[in-house]
Amino acid sequence: MSKASAESKADVDPGVLARARARVLGGASQAVTEPTPPGVVAASDGERVWLLSAWPDGATPALLEEYDTAPMPLDRSGQARRVLAAALRCCWTRLDDAPWPGEAAPVQAVLEVYGGMSRGDAELARRWATGELRRLSDTGWLLLDEAAGVVRPGPRVALWPDDSLGPLRDLLRRLPEPPQGVIAGE
Amino acid sequence: MSHPSDPTSDTTPTLDDALVGEAVLGVYRQMFAALARDGGAVVDDPELVDVAETLLAAFADAGEEGLSREQMRYVCRRYPTEVFENRLRVLRGLGAVREVFPKPNQLRYRASFTSVVGLMFVRRMMLDGGQSEMHRLLALEQLNVADPRMTPAQARDGAAGLARAFRLWSVELLTLTNGTIEELREQAPKLWGTEEILQRAERLHGAILRRWPQLDRACTDLRTAIYAYGDASRRAAARLSDSAGTTRNLTLLPPETWRTFARTASRDDLAAVLEGFVFDAPAPWHEPSAVVQAVEDGPRATPPRPAPPRPSVPDPGLSDDTGGDATATERLRAVAEQALRGRDRIAVEDLLTQDWPTARRVLADLSSAHLHPELPYRLTWSDGLAVRPDGSPTWLSPGTFERTDVKHVAAPRKAGADE
Repeated sequence: MSKASAESKADVDPGVLARARARVLGGASQAVTEPTPPGVVAASDGERVWLLSAWPDGATPALLEEYDTAPMPLDRSGQARRVLAAALRCCWTRLDDAPWPGEAAPVQAVLEVYGGMSRGDAELARRWATGELRRLSDTGWLLLDEAAGVVRPGPRVALWPDDSLGPLRDLLRRLPEPPQGVIAGE
Repeated sequence: MSHPSDPTSDTTPTLDDALVGEAVLGVYRQMFAALARDGGAVVDDPELVDVAETLLAAFADAGEEGLSREQMRYVCRRYPTEVFENRLRVLRGLGAVREVFPKPNQLRYRASFTSVVGLMFVRRMMLDGGQSEMHRLLALEQLNVADPRMTPAQARDGAAGLARAFRLWSVELLTLTNGTIEELREQAPKLWGTEEILQRAERLHGAILRRWPQLDRACTDLRTAIYAYGDASRRAAARLSDSAGTTRNLTLLPPETWRTFARTASRDDLAAVLEGFVFDAPAPWHEPSAVVQAVEDGPRATPPRPAPPRPSVPDPGLSDDTGGDATATERLRAVAEQALRGRDRIAVEDLLTQDWPTARRVLADLSSAHLHPELPYRLTWSDGLAVRPDGSPTWLSPGTFERTDVKHVAAPRKAGADE
């Protein structure tokens, strides 16, 4: 939480303002043609560009763990990450590439993959996963288009350093395939 | 109604008790200031009023016969004698308690109705302050104005009295507004619900003006007094809420006020509390390794793999080969035989002719052979100590290493046959 200087917008450095907006809005998008202020990571998919706050020296918030500092509290983090893995299994089809921008995949396929990963009531698992998809979409990890029923990786996956992706690639190769019938049915 | 100092309890009065008592006395003084002959004439202890109330209640129960002096003393037995005598003298002197018949040596007394009503008024004023009395007065005036027997002179007097009361009230509020915030906070209950009083007063004002248009001068006075009061109370409330807002000290306003604010305020008003603050968007971080970990820790669709099957052949159990021990014994035997070289005994110092690391190893092996329960060798030491400044071990106890089965000539060969 930081004190904002709301007054005299003209005096504020546009870069500072853009960084503040990126923090407050959690990754706002703008057209590619807009200028990108310095000090932010710009994740572009060709049409839009998402401005994400950058950390110094290529560090990620995972560094907090090394300093025994509690990260941002997250309810049911395990479930959220499993849903993220299921979504990446469907959207990140060329695993040798970077996960961003990935490809759009139907939400039904993601729910099927997640249902195959979990145990118990399948209907309940789908409902949990739908909620997690929305939360992941709110925090910029996925881009969920509920009207079209498709999901694709969010801009924040572009912040993953490439050398930390090895175990995730191995995991996604092991995960079950999305059922072809669902994709064909779309 | 609580009287602050109970004479029957022996607890020492605290400062809070003193404050409560002082507040009660303040109300008494204010109410009877107009009647008092001098400043010391009003009671200086709230307890004295309780005496009077007890007495009057007893008179009400006693009926038309009244009470004798002894009965009065009995009713007031909780209070000290001098307090009781003092109160009785004052009440008799002012006529609140009178003889049943105005004769000398009258023993029975009765109480005055007016005093009881006056005391009720006092108690009510103390309970809810002058504000509710103002409500009552306004309601009464409203009834009076509607009364067909009311004359314009009476209406003018009533309006003038109300105007005076409102002026004094607003002056008091202004004084509070300019005083300390703590005092304002204490007296704040006087401010609540003023809207209703204002509406009531304006209705009354309208009624008087409609019925007697010739009273417009008195009504103008009343109207300005009402508006002055409204301004003063709004300013006091504004000061209170301003200081509460800037200090963020939530105790400056009563909890009911905060609750009302939370229920009735618009979204913009509520949001204004944190205006000027920027909150980061929720941004949990999912590290790729954390994603992998979560998937691996998650519940599995398929049960975990069963344990590998047991072999079908029967288990032979533990092996007989304990290993190692026999070779160690053989090595010790070889070392011992090499040291003895066929002899039965040999002095230890003859064995330690080489450098100390070698000698140390030989000595350790000979000691092991001596201690081994199955090997027929013995190491004995004598008590002497030879100092050899230029020798390899610079000091030495003479000792012998010998075999214990000297009778068996072919001991080495026998040992070899044991193999």
